[in-house]
Amino acid sequence: MVRSVVNAERENIPGVAVTIKGFSDAARLAAKADGLANLAIAEYPVAIGIQAPEDIKETVQRSLFAQIVDGLTGAANRAGTEKEATANPDSAVFEGTLDAINQHFAANAWSDGLAIIPPTQERVAAFLRFTDRRPDEIISVLPQANLAATPLNIAANGVMAGCRPEHMPILIAAVQAIGDEHYNLGNIGTTGTLVPYLLINGPIVAQLKIESRGQLISRGPNPSLGRALGLIVRNIAGYRPGRNYLGTFGYQIPFALAENEAESPWPPFHVEQGFDAAQSTVTAGGSMFWGYPPAPHSRPEKSGAQVTLELLCREIYKKTILHCLPEQGPDAFRHMITLLLTPPIAQSLADEGYSKQDVRDYLYENARVTRRELEWHTKFSFAQPMSIEEKVEKGLFPTAYLVGPDEMVRLLPSPDILHLIVCGEPGRNRLMGFHSVYVKPTSKEIELPRNWERLLSEG
Amino acid sequence: MTEPEMAVISPLGNETIGARTSAPRPDTLNGKTICEMWNGDFKGNFTFPIIRELLHEQFKDVRIVPYTAFPNSTIRGTPAHQREVDSQMIALAKAQGCDAVIAGNGG
Repeated sequence: MVRSVVNAERENIPGVAVTIKGFSDAARLAAKADGLANLAIAEYPVAIGIQAPEDIKETVQRSLFAQIVDGLTGAANRAGTEKEATANPDSAVFEGTLDAINQHFAANAWSDGLAIIPPTQERVAAFLRFTDRRPDEIISVLPQANLAATPLNIAANGVMAGCRPEHMPILIAAVQAIGDEHYNLGNIGTTGTLVPYLLINGPIVAQLKIESRGQLISRGPNPSLGRALGLIVRNIAGYRPGRNYLGTFGYQIPFALAENEAESPWPPFHVEQGFDAAQSTVTAGGSMFWGYPPAPHSRPEKSGAQVTLELLCREIYKKTILHCLPEQGPDAFRHMITLLLTPPIAQSLADEGYSKQDVRDYLYENARVTRRELEWHTKFSFAQPMSIEEKVEKGLFPTAYLVGPDEMVRLLPSPDILHLIVCGEPGRNRLMGFHSVYVKPTSKEIELPRNWERLLSEG
Repeated sequence: MTEPEMAVISPLGNETIGARTSAPRPDTLNGKTICEMWNGDFKGNFTFPIIRELLHEQFKDVRIVPYTAFPNSTIRGTPAHQREVDSQMIALAKAQGCDAVIAGNGG
């Protein structure tokens, strides 16, 4: 919506953005990121989604209309250009004690609410030793703020998060991944709440003791790596909770996974993406859920593998956003579903002959819901209500969805939105699924510095 | 005990885009062509008709191009798809002789 105004203003056509209360700041930041310093805004003052039509009319007459006219004809609403201090990137931006630095960073919303390690020039320099790139080289320009990520500011955020200098190559690859347009970082500010995550594959997992087994997101260097991603999204991509990062109930700290390749019966994720097993990679993904990891149990009448497959179908139903999940075509919402399987679960499937692709195909075919249930979601759980017929008419659902209310229809648009990762406690038979709209998994090779082995041995 | 002081560098990304000023505003909307651009969200199908009615009441010679004359701006699909829809919208607006744009609803 802001893009429409920005594009009009580029053509010298005045525009006004009608925002809903709570979105105006996000609109201003989005316009500023596209170079429009003074976006004209008319703010609708209440949550329109639950208002009755007569109340909407009264609100437009009483409050909105005058703002629209002012926005198109006068100077109202275009005062105040936000200019965040970006400072000379390699010079000191603040000097003080540990407490004072933490207070300064918190006051400027540069930290995530937790205490940080101060990014001193010495600590940042230690990180920069672990890349052959120049400190000011542009690694990527990250939406939504369209600010440039360089080794220098990537290192600063890595230091703040508590990472080690040898994590620098992972952080650079992570920035390359979220900066790739395929990932679509520009749409993560949704009130639906999207938490980015990292998946690390390849030899670097063992080399840097990144955790891939029990409680992996909470052990080893994983929490620091996840936190660094969150700080990069905050400080370089410019996403600030409450301003343009609008998850309704807030965010978990982003997390980092690693695949347990040694105990997996299948090729690892990065090999599925076309990398060599000997390469190390970072994949950026997204999650809108984290929750209970159910445990499949074999019974005399059903094998463990069969129960696992049936449980995964239910996991997809429980932990996905149903109103748009089956959509297809260029105007469909994009989806990714990550399925975490412990090694015994993966082994039980492999023992019955299932590859990762076979599992995906099974779930595509068998994860289903009644049309009645799906249509309830398409009509009532999203701002743009649509019947199944309207979805079909718009080309978002195939005609196979035009069935009776109690007939079962597919939940998934295609098998390839499913991403299977073997990890977690090797002694447990548990699994978990989580879903994200907008983003797609994006993998980048981790480039190691020429003197990597020597640097590690010195570490 | 006196705590040591440290100098720290900025964690912020570097600016890449220069600021541009807004388009000049007309004194009145009378005689102007105003284009509605909807993102399909937040009940614009309710608000735009009310705004349209009020514009006609206050500015007798205003011409409105309703949102139904444009595709909806979108956050669906790939960024390239989103840009393509945006390009279509602005091209249509220019073809309609648009003097001002009202875009909504949301953020």
